[in-house]
Amino acid sequence: MAAPAYPAWVTRWVSGQWRNKKRPPALRPPRTLALADKVANRREQSTEATCITEMSVMMACWKQNDFNDTPCAEEIRMFYDCVAKAEKERKNQNEDTLSSRGNLPSSKVNKLLRRFPQITRHV
Amino acid sequence: RIMPVRWSRYNPSYLEPEVKKESYQKPLEELTEEEREQMELKAVRPIKAAPPTLSSSAFSDPMISKFTNMMMKNGNKVLARSLMSQTLETIKRKQLEKYHKAPENEKETIECNPYVIFHQALKNCQPIIGLSNITRGGKTYQVPVPLTDNRKRFLAMKWLITECRENKHRRTMMPEKLSQELLLAFNNEGPVIKRKHVLHKMAEANRAYAHFRWW
Repeated sequence: MAAPAYPAWVTRWVSGQWRNKKRPPALRPPRTLALADKVANRREQSTEATCITEMSVMMACWKQNDFNDTPCAEEIRMFYDCVAKAEKERKNQNEDTLSSRGNLPSSKVNKLLRRFPQITRHV
Repeated sequence: RIMPVRWSRYNPSYLEPEVKKESYQKPLEELTEEEREQMELKAVRPIKAAPPTLSSSAFSDPMISKFTNMMMKNGNKVLARSLMSQTLETIKRKQLEKYHKAPENEKETIECNPYVIFHQALKNCQPIIGLSNITRGGKTYQVPVPLTDNRKRFLAMKWLITECRENKHRRTMMPEKLSQELLLAFNNEGPVIKRKHVLHKMAEANRAYAHFRWW
């Protein structure tokens, strides 16, 4: 007896495909399959701490010189410069443009989407 | 009836008064572009009234006024100001005594100007890095954090004043104790400098938590 040629449905039935494992998806959630006018609220990832290298360099210098300020004047000056730069950077950055990671915060995205909503009805 | 109010009641268009005499004595050509714009703006906008503590005299110093205000208790500015002037006088007396007793070659190294001593002492007392409480996962950590200039000045003055108020003998007067502390701080010695070093040591011990900062 050669390989018995069963119809396709028999093979599928025997393999247990139709039992819960590979049924065609029955669409349960009745939400409309269309883009909404808002984005989910995402927790804005916090920016990293600035000036850590300068701080660690300064602390190493302190450890060597018993926490006196006079031998470490150069490191302290560099730390202050870094802090001033970071402060200016924070003030100048405008939240309406893309942040450093290339994402807008969800509140800004929602504001923009509200200005240009999806047109659902045509008259 | 005047109601006490926390913030200023001036319209935001009011500008701050300019008290320094030197800025009015500059001839027109020497001013930069932005200074010319400032002058034109001042001709049009109203100006706030100058507070009584702000003065154009050569003897007034904003740091000294701030320190006097911090020493003041219950609004007794007269007492605070007299204490401050007595402190400066005691500093001058002590330094002059040292000056007249010192040998010839050391006379230049002794600083006699009490204002210079005050400023240098405050600068020596200012902490460079501070600690702030940050809560992560239920636990509060002390995170080393850079401080603003105002906060450094405030901490230095506050430490000096608390030190002088608490750790003195019942009968020593405040000017004497303050002058003592200021002279010690001028030479990078004394309990206030020690307190600053303790803060720095704690910041150094907690440097692993520096990444908890988000600014």
